[in-house]
Amino acid sequence: MATVSLQHIEKIYPAAEGGKKKKKKEPEKKNNLKVTEQGVVAVDDFNLEIADQEFIVLVGPSGCGKSTTLRMVAGLEEITNGDLYIDGKRMNGVESKDRDISMVFQNYALYPHLTVRQNLEFPLKLRKMPKAEMDKRVEHAADILGITQYLDRKPKALSGGQRQRVAIGRAIVREPKVLLMDEPLSNLDAKLRNQMRAEIIKLHQQIKTTFIYVTHDQTEAMTLGDRIVIMKDGVIQQVGTPQEVYDHPINTFVAGFIGVPQMNFYDGSLIRQGDQYSVSVGEAVIPLSAEKSARLAEKGISEGSVTVGIRPEHISLAEAPGRMLEGTVDVSEMMGASIHLHVSTMGCDSIIVVPTLNLQSGMDVSIGARIHFTFAGNAVHVFDRESGENLELD
Amino acid sequence: MNKKYKNTVGPRRAAAYIVLIILTFFCLIWFYVLFINTTQSNSALKYGFTAVPGNYLFKNMYNLFHGPTPVLQGMLNSFIIAALSAVLCTYFSTMTAYAIHAYSFKGKKAIFTFILAIMMIPTQVTALGFIRLMNTMRLNDSFIPLIIPSIAAPITFFYMKQYMDSNLPGSLIEAARIDGAGEFRIFNSIVIPLMKPAIAVQGIFTFVASWNNYFIPNLILSDKMKKTLPIMIAELRGSDWKTFDMGQVYAMITFAIFPVIIVYLILSKYIIGGVTAGGVKE
Repeated sequence: MATVSLQHIEKIYPAAEGGKKKKKKEPEKKNNLKVTEQGVVAVDDFNLEIADQEFIVLVGPSGCGKSTTLRMVAGLEEITNGDLYIDGKRMNGVESKDRDISMVFQNYALYPHLTVRQNLEFPLKLRKMPKAEMDKRVEHAADILGITQYLDRKPKALSGGQRQRVAIGRAIVREPKVLLMDEPLSNLDAKLRNQMRAEIIKLHQQIKTTFIYVTHDQTEAMTLGDRIVIMKDGVIQQVGTPQEVYDHPINTFVAGFIGVPQMNFYDGSLIRQGDQYSVSVGEAVIPLSAEKSARLAEKGISEGSVTVGIRPEHISLAEAPGRMLEGTVDVSEMMGASIHLHVSTMGCDSIIVVPTLNLQSGMDVSIGARIHFTFAGNAVHVFDRESGENLELD
Repeated sequence: MNKKYKNTVGPRRAAAYIVLIILTFFCLIWFYVLFINTTQSNSALKYGFTAVPGNYLFKNMYNLFHGPTPVLQGMLNSFIIAALSAVLCTYFSTMTAYAIHAYSFKGKKAIFTFILAIMMIPTQVTALGFIRLMNTMRLNDSFIPLIIPSIAAPITFFYMKQYMDSNLPGSLIEAARIDGAGEFRIFNSIVIPLMKPAIAVQGIFTFVASWNNYFIPNLILSDKMKKTLPIMIAELRGSDWKTFDMGQVYAMITFAIFPVIIVYLILSKYIIGGVTAGGVKE
């Protein structure tokens, strides 16, 4: 239960001595990290205020600096520049054990030679907690996570899901100020991951502490976070609620990263007639909604070439040809409730999600079929062709 | 299919068994020779080896324990030196390896190379200087020069480091740090238990090496009551023709290898895989 404040946090891995290994690992694989004279900048000017009891998710592709940021909060990585405050206290240089945080690792990190009970007791024993209180807390944590019957087993006798519960249990018994989770569900299979995701949401409601959660999976980010921090190449791209980042992605990276299947991008142009804007993509000219037009007008955006973004689920199929987009179905994936069509149109691939219920009888969506589709003006995202910035947002 | 399998693999397997049997025979025959000879009298031994046991076992043992050599004291001395060496060597080598494995500090690579370079220097080269140093420190005729230097064991260190690299996940150490454990606590309650198989292997090696060590103890120890078993065996062998008794020598060798076997049996149960199983997802 604490606020966390990250102010101008930077992590630079020096190029020589000590950082050599890391340097080798990071910049070669992770292409676009900034390199300065001091070394490779893994996290660049990271600013974030996390409220008490908030669930923050750091999300981004691998190598974007999200885990490094979390490890700096945990005290496992030194902070090169900037200040970290937990509950108003500056934490730079404070050892992990004195930060009153706990962490769940991707690979569980359970002590294999100790039983589940001893694993859960370990952090409490170190705090010299009385036996009765310790037992109470262990039982309570085990109860919340449904691992009571495994308390006397060793980790190797547990399944992956059970082990991760134990790891979460060990993190919560201490009732820490901040609970950090580093891709805790990545090692679980899809079904278990969904189940654990729901359990983590429940857990957050029950224990009411500040959560910082790292993942590369946008679905986890969308479902778990009160707010999401989207990162790329060590830099925050956007911070917002799941709905905000979905509805108003700040640039093409966020637009493409958030949402499954990912957003389609087309080269198009922006047309202005007074305060009314339209986008033209291929043959189609789609007038933007009044709200979007107003925002563009307010910013004084003029006509020109733009990147038009449209989410697969916002595209609708149409029978009549006209001023619509046209393409050929390359792949058709039946998902049950919907069909995902991979369509080649205007020299690029688009994905269209067609709810099975909406599919008109007689409409041919088989492989090789020619289809026509369109989208509504309120679902269009307009991005600058060069910078990729969303033209509607500041 | 079955027939073909028999035709091709059969002779090869038979040949392999024959080779293995021969090797096993050559490994074990010397123990048999030793036990047979322990049961022979000195005069019988002069005529060479017979495969049939004699009836001098108890007589040889009696002579050994009632002779001028303080055998039991020798065994106690050997045991104190070997056991303490094994404990200190494995504990501190693991600690050194842990420091190199878990921490990043300037000159880490250089230190690692330096420790490995020491491995190349044979004991005999440094023995003279070592003895002179012990004399200057007035530590001759003491167990300390035989126990304390075993702390610095580059080979054990190297083995521990290799074992840690493949068996000690960094996230366990980090988890313990976040849980609130200090560095010594992490080492003693997390690292040591996970290193048990490696410690057992190196414990056995160090114990046996120290138990069999003749060269340095012989240069350091001069008091009769402080000598170790290998020195006593050598003295027994080197005694004049009047008291020389080969049966007694064999009895003593037999007597000397038992503790080693016992230590092996105790420690070998820890040499099992899977101590770290289940801790982290690999």
